[in-house]
Parts: sequence; C-alpha cells; structure tokens
Amino acid sequence: MKTKIALTIFTIIASIKISLSGTIHVVTTTQDTKSIAELIGGNKVDVFAIATGYQNPHFVDPKPSYIIKLSNADLFVTLGLDLEAGWSPSLLTSSKNKKIQKGSNGYVDASVGVTLMQVPSAINRAEGDIHIYGNPHYWLDPLNGKIIARNICNGLEKISPENKDFFESNLKIVDAQIDLKMKAWTTAMASFKGTKVIAYHNEWCYFENRFGLTIVDFMEPKPGIPPTPSQLVKIIKEVKENNIKVIITSPYFTASSSDVVSKQTGAKTLVLATSVGAFDEIKTYYDLFDYNIKLLTTGLK
Amino acid sequence: MIKFISLLLYSVYILSFCFSQTDSAKKADSLLLMQIQSEMQQTPTSQPKQRVAASANPDISVIGDFRGLYRSYGYHNFDAVLNEAEFSFQSVVDPYVRADFFYSIGEDAATGNFSSEIEEGYLTTLSLPAHLQLKAGRLKQQLGRVNPVHAHALPFADMPDAFVNFFGEEGLKGDGVSLSWLLSNHTFFQELTVEATNVSNNPSFERSKKNNYLYLAHLKNFWDLSANATLELGLTGMQGENLSKKITNIGAVDLTYKWKPVRYNTYKSVTFQNELYYSQAMLDSSTVNAIGFYSMLNIQVAKRWFLAGRFDYSNTPYSAQFVQQSGSLTLGWYATEFQKIEIEGKYTTMNEALPENHNEKNFEMAYLRWIFVIGTHGAHQY
Repeated sequence: MKTKIALTIFTIIASIKISLSGTIHVVTTTQDTKSIAELIGGNKVDVFAIATGYQNPHFVDPKPSYIIKLSNADLFVTLGLDLEAGWSPSLLTSSKNKKIQKGSNGYVDASVGVTLMQVPSAINRAEGDIHIYGNPHYWLDPLNGKIIARNICNGLEKISPENKDFFESNLKIVDAQIDLKMKAWTTAMASFKGTKVIAYHNEWCYFENRFGLTIVDFMEPKPGIPPTPSQLVKIIKEVKENNIKVIITSPYFTASSSDVVSKQTGAKTLVLATSVGAFDEIKTYYDLFDYNIKLLTTGLK
Repeated sequence: MIKFISLLLYSVYILSFCFSQTDSAKKADSLLLMQIQSEMQQTPTSQPKQRVAASANPDISVIGDFRGLYRSYGYHNFDAVLNEAEFSFQSVVDPYVRADFFYSIGEDAATGNFSSEIEEGYLTTLSLPAHLQLKAGRLKQQLGRVNPVHAHALPFADMPDAFVNFFGEEGLKGDGVSLSWLLSNHTFFQELTVEATNVSNNPSFERSKKNNYLYLAHLKNFWDLSANATLELGLTGMQGENLSKKITNIGAVDLTYKWKPVRYNTYKSVTFQNELYYSQAMLDSSTVNAIGFYSMLNIQVAKRWFLAGRFDYSNTPYSAQFVQQSGSLTLGWYATEFQKIEIEGKYTTMNEALPENHNEKNFEMAYLRWIFVIGTHGAHQY
C-alpha cells in the first residue's frame, strides 16, 4: 500500500514537473490562428503556422517538413469546416503524434461556436467549390475572432490547466481589445454601408456582413473556376450600371482579370489581406482589420 | 525493500520521459481534477446553429479513368476503354486506427472483359508511441515516387518503362505490414519504413510458396531548400523470391526537385523527378544485373495547364542485354480538382523485337486520358 502511495505521489510530481518545465508547442494551420494563439498563450507558447499569410489556405502543399513540427506539437489548431481538407488531414495522420489527432485534447477546431453563413441545403459540385458546412472564411469577421480565441484558450487550458488563470486573463485582454477596435472599425466603415463592390472569390461574406458592404458579383463565375471572358463582360456591365468603384481581391490571385475590368470601367482593384502576414505591416490579428479598413475607406472615397 | 521501491520509482520516472503514451496517461490522471475544475469554469461556447447533419459513413469516392489508345502497329490499333473505376472508402475506425480501402475494376482494352481486385485495403495506427506508425493489410509498397501513388494522380497516362519492366503495370503491392518511424531529426525530414509482405506476382518477384516474403526498407529524406523549393531523396532496398525460386535484390534511388511559388502555387510549378532501379536476380545458373530509370520534368505553364516530358531507359530483371528507350510528352488540362484530361505522345525503341509489339522495334503510342472524381477523396502525398 505504502509503495502504491509513494509511486502515485512520485508520478504526480514527475508529471507536473514535465508539464511545467516546457513551452507548449502549438501548430496552427494559418497565421490568423497563430496570432490569436500567441495573444492567449503569451510566453507559455511557441507557435508555428503552416500556411503563410499570402497563400491560399485551400491549397497548401502538405510538405513533409511540416510533419516535423506536427510530430512535436502539444496543440494543433485548425480553422476547421473543410477549409484545409485538401492537406491538413494527411499531415495530421503522418505526424504520428496521438496528442493532436482529432478527438484528442490537443486538437482544437477553431470554428466551434461560429454561426456559419452560406450553409448549402444540398451539395452540388456543378456550383463550383461548394463548402459542405458553409463558407469557411469566418475569421474575417473580428467578432468571430473572439470565438476563435475562446476555443484556443479552452484547448490551452486542457493541456496546461495549471496556466488557466494566465490564459483567461489574456483572453479577456483580447476580447476587450477586439471590442475597442470594433468601435473604430465600424465607425470608419459607417459611411460606406451598403456600398456595392465586386469580389474575386467568395471569401468575404463574413467581412461584408460585419461592415455593411454589398458584394454584387464575383470575378469567378463559380467558386474555384477562373474568370471567363463572358463573366468579365457581365462584370464590366454590372460595374458600369451600379457605378462600382472597387474590386476586392486577395494576394494569391493574379491581377490579369481584375486589370481588364479596371481598364474598361475605371474601378480600382484593392488587394485586401485575407490573413495576418499577407503584407509586411500586418503582424497581428488586429493589424489585419486595421489594414483592410484603411485600404477600403481610402479606396471607396 | 527501500532499494526496491527506489528502483521502481526511478524506473517510473525514466519511463515517464521515454514514452509519451505513458506520460500522457499519467499526466491526464494526475491533473484530472484540475481539468474538470477548469472546464466547469469555462464559458461554454454555443453550438453552431447550422451544420450539415453528422454522418458515420466513411468518405466515399469513385474515380473514373476513361482513355483512348493508339499504337502505330497492328490492324486494330485504336481502342477506347474505361480503363479503371476505383472505389475508395476511407475513415477513422476509432481513436486508435484509421482504415482505407480502394477497390478497382478494370477493363481489358483488347477483350472488353472486366477484372476487379482490392487494390489496397489497410489500417493505419494513430496512437503508437515514439513516432511510430504501423500499416497492416494489402498495400502499395513504399518504393520511390510512382509506386505508392494511384495511377490517376500521376502526371502521365502510362507508367514509366522501367517501372513496368521491373514491377508490372500494377506495381509492387502485397499483403503484410509496414512500420514507419519518423526520425528525431529537427534539421530535415527523415522517415524510415520497413515492410514485410506476401507480395503479388510481378516481373521481379513471385508470391512465395515457402516463407520467402518480400522485405523492403525505404529511407525518405526531405529538405526545404527555400520557401518555394524542396528536394526529396529516397533510398530503397528490397529482397524477395523470383520466378526461379531464388532471391532477387533491388536497390532504388529517387530524387525529386520541386519549385512552387508559395503565393501563386496554384498558377506555377516545376517538378523534376527521377527514379533508378538496380536489380540483381539470382537465377538457376547465373546472376543478372539489370537497371532501369526514368527522368521526368513537369512544368505547370498556367493555372490549368501542365506539360510533362519523360525519358525512359530500361533492361528487364532477367536480361541486361535487352534495352528499351522511350521519350514522351504529356499535355494536361486540369479543369478542377475533380477532373483532368491528358494527351500523351510516346516514341519507343528497343534492341529486340517482342511479339506483344507485333515484332516492331520502333513504334509510337498515343493516349488520351480523362480522369474524373465524384465523392470525397483523400489528399495525395506531396
């Protein structure tokens, strides 16, 4: 009996010692969740993001070098839905790391709790790249950033409960900061409520909904299908009819199609940031919206 | 007694460091109360209001490979054929393993007869300690860059001559186990795979009537040369029984350079892929040392367009005198992730005439391949 007690005590001490001694290694699929994980985890975490900020998150190449990071991770954060379906599951399986497999404590689906937009009632690929759970670009609404932060905080607390107070305290700071920034962002965008724009790809619905823009049409005739001549003719007509001033696109789409429309109509093409790190000055999740709001308010004037 | 307890305590301490599984379990036990308290105090996140209904079904897909074939010899030198329909079922079984099944039905272009087989059917562990992973079942073996990949995912319509001559159209696969280990190398990726299989018959190896399984070891090395460029070097060794009921040893090297700009990775890319096989087949009265290789350059010239050139050189496992060489060019149009059309032209020259080629030493072939996918199909390797 004494031996059992001694063993148990020793094991507890050893376990706590291990958990306290090291930094928590976090791997996220994107730079946005990396930024939020760093804001919550502070100096307790070391975060690596797989996708760069200027990369299309649907099409990341599952390089074996990412497996090294995943194999040593304590926590994996995915944006979820089926955004990373083409690359993240195979990397996770290859990581041979049971701590971060789906269903484990070290697996965080950042989308849990997000109210999704554009949820299809039926799946038909004739409509292009349709996402079965709904539009997955939800991090482009700053208020969803608070839900992402909550989910990451929960994940960190599961694997490091001894730092719960620290994470909760940081979560409050993040929530407060987003609330504070939201006032400035909505004020800046208030005068552009209902302004019609064209977008390249259907990835701005959460941003559009939050800041009151109206996306009239997309350069892609269907999600994932490159712009066709007939679609460009349609867009040019819509831009002229609606006096649209701005086409919004993303860093990973080539400008050739947008340039054609711009030359024909005089509408400006604005390359908005879809993620932290899309441009050098965007270093945090807050910067992402600072950058986009500034670019839009200048472009729409 | 004290010594015994001390030893026991020390062992537990060491084990807690050595085995992450043990470590995690003990950590979870010891901190369970803290976790429960922690979770009870967390603000519950609301469940999403709209989600597609959950399903326990596996990911199911069907891949069609329809093709037209042209040969510059024979009276009947054009065929149209549904070359293959591949049915895949993929899912996690439970927290410990996942399962992948690929069932293939193929049509013989000459006869129109269909044949079917379980192309692959294996489980993969998800929870082994020490960065180990075990696959068990019927599987494509970890040889180079072509063999583990299903034909529809390759950038050319035909298989390289060396691959066909040494391992057959269907490649090297068998029933058995595959254990892979991710080496603790933080500088570059290294993975060692060892396999033992009851191999399916192919030109180099026979399914043994005795206990001569096919043993294979593969070391995969991968480097990020820059954000846009990568290099992979694979080394493979294998040993199994040949048609003379004696032993064949094969060594293989694969080297692949890829360039893909991160920002515009859907628009531009270059892949330079090479694979070499060296075979030593011990026969009744002699030993045959034979080689075969291919070299392929695949350039993505626009978002949907790929151009691949390939040079093949090959002996056969039982004749170093036989030499087959060919050059091919493939133009691919990738409509979406779910459909592509490829046109390939190929010129072949041999130093010996073969009956299956109507005794022609030099001939041309052309392929038109149309690949289409319905359902949910898992991602392929990088």
